[in-house]
Amino acid sequence: MSEEKKKKAMNRLKTMYPLRANIDQAYERSVEATKAGKPTAWSMVNWWEADPILKAMDIEIVYPENYGAVCAAIGSAQKYLDRSDAEGFPTHMCGYARNCIGYTAEMTELGHIPSDAPMGGMSNPILLLSSGALCDARIKWFQSLGRYLDAPVWTVELPHPGVEESQMPGVREKSIQFMVKELRELVAFLERLTGRKMDWAKLEEITDDLIEINRIWYEINEFRKVRPCPMHSRDFWSCMNASLYPAGDPKVSLKLYRDMYDEVKDRVANKIGAVENEKYRMVFGELPPWHALKIFDELAERGWNFVVESWAYHAPKPIDYAKISDPLERVATQTYQWLTGYFPDALKEKEYMGYFAYPYLEWARTYQCDGALFHPLLTCRTATNHLILAQDRLLNKLHVPSLIAEGDIVDLKLFDYADTMRKAVVLEEMMDHYKKVRQEEGFEW
Amino acid sequence: MTAKGKKGFARAKELYQDRSQRAKELKAEGKKVMGYFCLYPVLELFTAFDIVPYRILGDMGEPITKADSCLPTIVCPFIRSALDLGLKGKYDFFDGVVMCHSCEVGEKAAHIWRIYMDPSYYHFLDTPHTVHEPAQQQFKGQLEDFQKTLEALTGKKLSAGKLKDAVDICNQQRVLVRELYDLRKSDPPLISGTEIIEVMVALMSIPVNEGNALLKQIIDEARGRTDGPQKKPHRLLLWGTVIDNTALVEMIENAGANVVMDDTCVGSRAYFPMVEPTENPLDGLSRRYLVDIKCPRTFREAVYGDPKKHYIKDLEHRFGYLKDYAREWNADGVILQSVRYCDIHGYDTPGLSDYLNHIGLPNIYIEHDYSEGALAPLRTRVQGFLELIG
Amino acid sequence: MHEVFRDHPIREGSLIYFAGIDLGSTMTKVVIVDRDGKTLSSLVGPTGAEHRRLANKVMADALMRADLSFDQVSYVVATGYGRINIPFADRQITELTCHAKGISSLFPGVRTAIDIGGQDAKGLKIRNGKLIDFVMNDRCAAGTGRFLDVLVGTLGLRIDELGEISLRATHKLPISSTCTVFAQMEIMAWLSQGTPLPDIVAGLHDAIANRVGKMVKKLKIEPEVVFTGGVAKNIGVVNALQEYLGLKVSVPAEPLLTGALGAALLGKELTLKAMAEGKPIHEKELRLAESTFFHTENH
Repeated sequence: MSEEKKKKAMNRLKTMYPLRANIDQAYERSVEATKAGKPTAWSMVNWWEADPILKAMDIEIVYPENYGAVCAAIGSAQKYLDRSDAEGFPTHMCGYARNCIGYTAEMTELGHIPSDAPMGGMSNPILLLSSGALCDARIKWFQSLGRYLDAPVWTVELPHPGVEESQMPGVREKSIQFMVKELRELVAFLERLTGRKMDWAKLEEITDDLIEINRIWYEINEFRKVRPCPMHSRDFWSCMNASLYPAGDPKVSLKLYRDMYDEVKDRVANKIGAVENEKYRMVFGELPPWHALKIFDELAERGWNFVVESWAYHAPKPIDYAKISDPLERVATQTYQWLTGYFPDALKEKEYMGYFAYPYLEWARTYQCDGALFHPLLTCRTATNHLILAQDRLLNKLHVPSLIAEGDIVDLKLFDYADTMRKAVVLEEMMDHYKKVRQEEGFEW
Repeated sequence: MTAKGKKGFARAKELYQDRSQRAKELKAEGKKVMGYFCLYPVLELFTAFDIVPYRILGDMGEPITKADSCLPTIVCPFIRSALDLGLKGKYDFFDGVVMCHSCEVGEKAAHIWRIYMDPSYYHFLDTPHTVHEPAQQQFKGQLEDFQKTLEALTGKKLSAGKLKDAVDICNQQRVLVRELYDLRKSDPPLISGTEIIEVMVALMSIPVNEGNALLKQIIDEARGRTDGPQKKPHRLLLWGTVIDNTALVEMIENAGANVVMDDTCVGSRAYFPMVEPTENPLDGLSRRYLVDIKCPRTFREAVYGDPKKHYIKDLEHRFGYLKDYAREWNADGVILQSVRYCDIHGYDTPGLSDYLNHIGLPNIYIEHDYSEGALAPLRTRVQGFLELIG
Repeated sequence: MHEVFRDHPIREGSLIYFAGIDLGSTMTKVVIVDRDGKTLSSLVGPTGAEHRRLANKVMADALMRADLSFDQVSYVVATGYGRINIPFADRQITELTCHAKGISSLFPGVRTAIDIGGQDAKGLKIRNGKLIDFVMNDRCAAGTGRFLDVLVGTLGLRIDELGEISLRATHKLPISSTCTVFAQMEIMAWLSQGTPLPDIVAGLHDAIANRVGKMVKKLKIEPEVVFTGGVAKNIGVVNALQEYLGLKVSVPAEPLLTGALGAALLGKELTLKAMAEGKPIHEKELRLAESTFFHTENH
């Protein structure tokens, strides 16, 4: 009886399952391909800036950040973290980086992939592709692997203008041109490295598919503004890799996202919510505790519907790419748009942390949220250092209260399930209170 | 020009102890004083507009209380401290602030600074991550925009001539700092590591031309002094994160060594690179600031676009200058120090240690909390290191 | 008010002695050796809050045991975290160097030493009796004697019983946190479930061994491994450490005294070297007691 009830509390999308399966299969195929000797690059998640280029040149991409999450989820990270410490890297560094450093040190020492490496391990790369997007770890960590690997390191640039500065004349154009120049150098470099030629037609096709995937994915998420929200954050996380990494054949992903669009649209038309009796519409901040996802079922039973989540994993606000003929410029524009897409709105509100913090504010309003649950990841400063600000702005500008439940990206022990549930009950009282405050002050929700 | 009364070292100490004294006087005389964070806001631009540049620093002696309400405690304590001082009103005399993409936390703190302190003038410089030609062009574009906002603020159009003059004045300061550092080459050095920090902090608190006058006094005074540092068994090179307080160096110098050379950003890292005079001064400036300032926040590789990688060559390219420092200043050991939670220095430390071991220079890594009171446990590490190198 | 001044010079062939004093965070240790490095007397006393006074007392007691007066001691080396608080010392040398020296004198083949004291834990890499590298714990108490000191209270046990009790464990509990505060919470949870004490204690020993072992691994551990410090008296931690490292670990008969022993031996070396070179041994006049305290208490 209770089992049945739990299943009912959260209503997962049917179209999520094939999309998720496609992501998982893509991962397995990638592991097989790299083991079979296909040239492999280790890459930081680069928000579509370098992935299409590598894919067009038929280089297999492995994401050590993702691998960090894999090792953590199956409880194998500790060994690698310890090894990183023993190698002399400071213990306060990013857990994903330490996992990767420890793994790489061990692989180099053994001369092959460690036999107990989770999910087949990561094969020796021909290239390490750093990314200038968002955090320092992602430009520093690969270079620090130089003591173990002979692969060259390349850093993909991404400008990080200030909100107001980004709106000065010419800044957008100059920034994109800068990215394009750098990407052109990257292509030339990859040609030298692999002895292959760039397949420009293929690059155009992949880029166009990605832009379309992101557009549909964005539209799917727009539907979540409706009451009751038709799609829960769980479904978002299950499917985001097909856009973000992008895992799997883009053509297949595109079809599966279209199916999902239809299902979500249908739910909207029929007023079907992702949780029964949606009482609290919630924002989730940063990555969830992967090993404790059942907390969302328990919260769903209390009427908590997670309607939107961290900006960093979302698709960029759609713009018209039709006039951009150079595929590299389309690539650069999409990534730049992802980073700065919310800046004009942020500037209007004098919110100067235009990515990370500001989107929470815009979304809490447009998705009409009652509260936010933030899950800061202690060794990930990037995922943490805007949260206090976000909490403050949500509460003081929109009267939306929030809760911080600490956790980590690899040290899973840090997340305290029972404590979070206790605090969640307190947050409910606050959400009830602030709902009245908002109504008294004339807010729409 | 400089304030009446104390001169040379005594004046530097006075400014070290009461940093804002002179800036506030100048403000009272009608000048604009602008705070800047990290090394990338170009000093020449402030100077050309006759604005007093004032480096935003922290205070190791002051407990952080206010910053925790807008930045988590698991980030760089130096940045938290600087933000804390701002929130406590200690930088209220600024007419504006210029921040930059120094590192990730620096960037976030900059935006937080603007949100919570709402300075009347604010500019954020986006420093690229790499040093290649396209990045230099991008940074030059950033400097052009920075110049435009200063022109809008002051209502003055900046001529290339004025900017070139500012380049000269700032280069003069760099030459003088080198001259001062040369006086650390003798044994014993003529200036202690502790005094150097006082001088550097003083320089970062007053206009460049006043700094030049002060440096000349100090160099003269040091050359003729008899009360300089004592000879000690070891001569150390100090690498790492910002040191804007004498406590750490004092602890090291009391453990039986003279700190004779540094590579930190309140030291040689800030002053050694020169600006090459170029037709458009912004070309030389963007190169100097982006390429020649060697902070781990920037990604640099031995050969741009080389499909082969050679570890030692890579290290040599990134850290070779430290070998030169150690040789010229005759250092027999290197202390790698970092404030806790500094990612950019953290990732470089094992590689730098590999390099120093490769060239046979003993080294030790120490991490601290940017707090005067928390330095004691480091004493044993430093002293143990000195005993170990013999 | 009696003050004991040291009266030199040392004459060739005269009987000379050297003392090492190790002022640790919880215990003060003194070792006195003769010209051949033979230990004549050693003593351990609590450090307490008044470093100087108690250091005097431990020193005076050790002298009495050796039937010596302070002026017969040619050289005093102070070590330990309170080393700067010992006015009667000729020289301060860190516990890192002193431990390396003392341990090497007992185990000439030592290559790795692990010392866990009241408030710190350190690993030493030693070659041919000389310290060549070291690691020390961070500011927190996890992985030090303090960790056990705090937690024995929670368990209602005495610190000296822990080793024996842990040997009776049937299955060790995994104490997942090395943070003292969190570990305390975990232990209370285990206790409330009626978990046998030996299993909990063995789990704590594992936690310490893992924490310290992990840190010392930075040195690339090579045998022979010697374990010293107050915690080395705990057989449970010794076993846990051996298990973690997969190596045999030797413990000296007096694991608390290696720092003071090394200090005394280093004093001996410095003195004999200076004598051989005809250089003055002492730079300053030193005296032991600055109060009447040690005479009244000892006679």
